[in-house]
Formats: sequence, structure tokens, C-alpha cells
Amino acid sequence: MGDVFKITVNLALICALAGIILSAVWAKTDPVRVQAEAHERELALKGLAPAADSILPVKDVVINGKDGVIYEAKAGGKTIGYVVSSTGRGYSSFIKLLVAVDMDYKVTGIDILGHGETPGLGDQIEQPWFKAQFAGKGADNLTVVKTETTTDIQAISGATISSRGVTKGVKDAVEKLKEIVPPAGANN
Amino acid sequence: MDEKKPNLLKLIKNGIFSENPVFKLALSLCPAVAVTTSVKNGFLMGVAVLFVMTMVNITVSIFRGVINPKVRIPAYILIIATYVSMTDMVMAAYSRTAYKEMGLYIQLIVVFAIIISRAELFASKNKVVPSAVDGFGMGLGFLGALVLVGAVRELIGKGTLAGVHILGANPLLIMVLPTGGFFVIGLLMGLFNWIEDKYFGGTSGGGGGSHGGH
Repeated sequence: MGDVFKITVNLALICALAGIILSAVWAKTDPVRVQAEAHERELALKGLAPAADSILPVKDVVINGKDGVIYEAKAGGKTIGYVVSSTGRGYSSFIKLLVAVDMDYKVTGIDILGHGETPGLGDQIEQPWFKAQFAGKGADNLTVVKTETTTDIQAISGATISSRGVTKGVKDAVEKLKEIVPPAGANN
Repeated sequence: MDEKKPNLLKLIKNGIFSENPVFKLALSLCPAVAVTTSVKNGFLMGVAVLFVMTMVNITVSIFRGVINPKVRIPAYILIIATYVSMTDMVMAAYSRTAYKEMGLYIQLIVVFAIIISRAELFASKNKVVPSAVDGFGMGLGFLGALVLVGAVRELIGKGTLAGVHILGANPLLIMVLPTGGFFVIGLLMGLFNWIEDKYFGGTSGGGGGSHGGH
């Protein structure tokens, strides 16, 4: 029994030491991390709605089973558009998106905040050419085709599912916005 | 027990050439395949592992008289996990761009066989400075291997090298998938051994002891 006791104490001491060191490192680095993430989010929002002087969250929503937020972009007190944080189901991960939408429910731009898609294939969704396709399109044109197209969304060769994941995430964001902020003059 | 005084430079050369973790010991092939889709990713992962290996070896060596042999494996894992967690937290706070690329894989460093292998085989039986150098040398060998594999895969699979376009022809996409990773590692391994045979007169024998690769 003395042996077991010695082993237990030995291991417990190591664990305690490790715990103390890790707590110290965490205490120092976590606030920095949280601040950095908040800053990045702010930059991402501003980048999608450059004309706005205020982008504030107005509603928490759920898209594709994941939490999202609808931000209202205002310039000079007038609403000029919305930014929706959305999620799409990719090939090997959930793809976190920001979708900027104008008052006609057309996408003005998207940003990919995070994903775990296949390096070299699915991660091409971050390429500027792919993201740029979404600008100017409404929900009807947010479908993926494998051929060359300017009206719809052209898939990344070798990464159709990732492309579809992003596109659906964007489309769901637009539809969710239409649901929460109905078009002016619509019968509720 | 008489602790030998190993030549420090020899330790470094050992880690890079005669006992290179990837090309000779065939250890930690998991990250060698998963992360080497580009030079940059291979480099970042290699640097993280270099840091962890050196620190783990130093720590295990310092405490080698205190860790109870019966629980040395859990103890080593704890030490490795602590350093990896520290690396993860520091990266998440201070190197956001690198963290975004590597985030998933940094935490996996805990299970790399090469780290616990060196802790058990070397650091637990040697003084601090040789252990540190051994960890550093092995880490350098690992880093070099990852950068090399990453370079080959990125060049043939995407036509770029560290993001700079070099080849104009259509890239071989399979190179960026795990299949290509295994091919490249296998071929480079063969090349490594062939060069050693031809120019340095024979191999010095494979790994240190028997352990499963990870």
C-alpha cells in the first residue's frame, strides 16, 4: 500500500505544478486572446459595411443549428444594410461566415471567419475570387454550379461540397434576414 | 550508473541525419503527412515541435531523479501536455495568423511519439544540457523533414513555394491530399537512405528501441 501512496503523491504533485503553471499562463494570455478576437470581429464587420458608422447586433438567431447574430448597419442614423453571422455545413467542418446584405436582400460581400476544410482543396473557399462571386446576388442565384457562370456560384474544382456549404450558409443568412426583417410593405 | 558525456555537436547531427525522426525513425508520420501541405504549415508545425521537444527534454532531465519510475509515462505526458497547452494559449493570444492556420494541429503535438520517445530514451537518463541539445537536434531534424516534405508537396501539388508561384503547368492535386503525403515521405525516405548509403558508407541502423509510430 505504501507504494501506491508514493505513486499517488508523486503524480499529484506533478499535476498540481502543471495546473499552477497553466493557470498562470492562461491568466496572462486569455484576456489578450479575447480582445484580439473582438477586434478581429469588429474589423470584419467594418470591412463588410465600410459606409456604416455603427454596426450593432439587433437579434440573436439560429442558422443551421448554430447560433448567429444579425447586425444592423447604420449611417447617419439610417439603416443602410445588415450583416449576418451565419454557419454553413462544409465537407469536414462548420464554416463560420459573415454575410453583408443590402436593403434589397442582395449580398454585398461575405467573409469567412473560420473553417476546418481540407487544406489545399476546401480551404480555397478563402480565395478572393470565390468570395467575390457572392456580391450582387440574391437568394435565387445562390446555387452552386460546376460550370463557368456569372449568374450563379461557381464551385471550386475538387471542393464542391465545401463550395456548397458556404453557399448554403450565405443563402440561409439572407433567408433568415428576410424572415426577421421583412421587406417594407409586406403583409405580416 | 555512469552517465556518459556525449559530444553535443554529434547529438545535433544525430537528430538531423542518422536518427532523423521522420526519415530514419519513421516516428510522428501523422503530422508529417497532415500538416505538410505547404512549406509554411510544415515550418510552423516544425518550430512548435522544436520548442516543445527542447523544453520537455530539459524538464524531464531536471526532474529525472524525482519522477517515480512507476508513473513515468503519465508524468511525461503531463509535462508534454503542459508545454503544448502553453504553446497553444500563447499562439492564440499573440500570433493570430499562425494560430488560424495551425490551430487544429497544435493540440495534437501531445501525442507525437517522437517527443515521449526522446524523453524516455534520453532525457530520463542524461544531464540537462545534453538532453536539451538532443531535444533541439531531434526537433531540428523534424523541422527540416517537414519543410522538405512541405516544399515537395506544395511545388508539385499547387505549383507554388511558400506562396510564390513557380511552376506554370497544371499542378498534381493528389500531392496535397494524404495519399500524396505518404508517397512523398516514402520516396524522400528512400532518397535519404540512398544518399547515406552511397556517400556516407552505410546506415547506422534504425530507431532507438521499438515503439509504434504516431
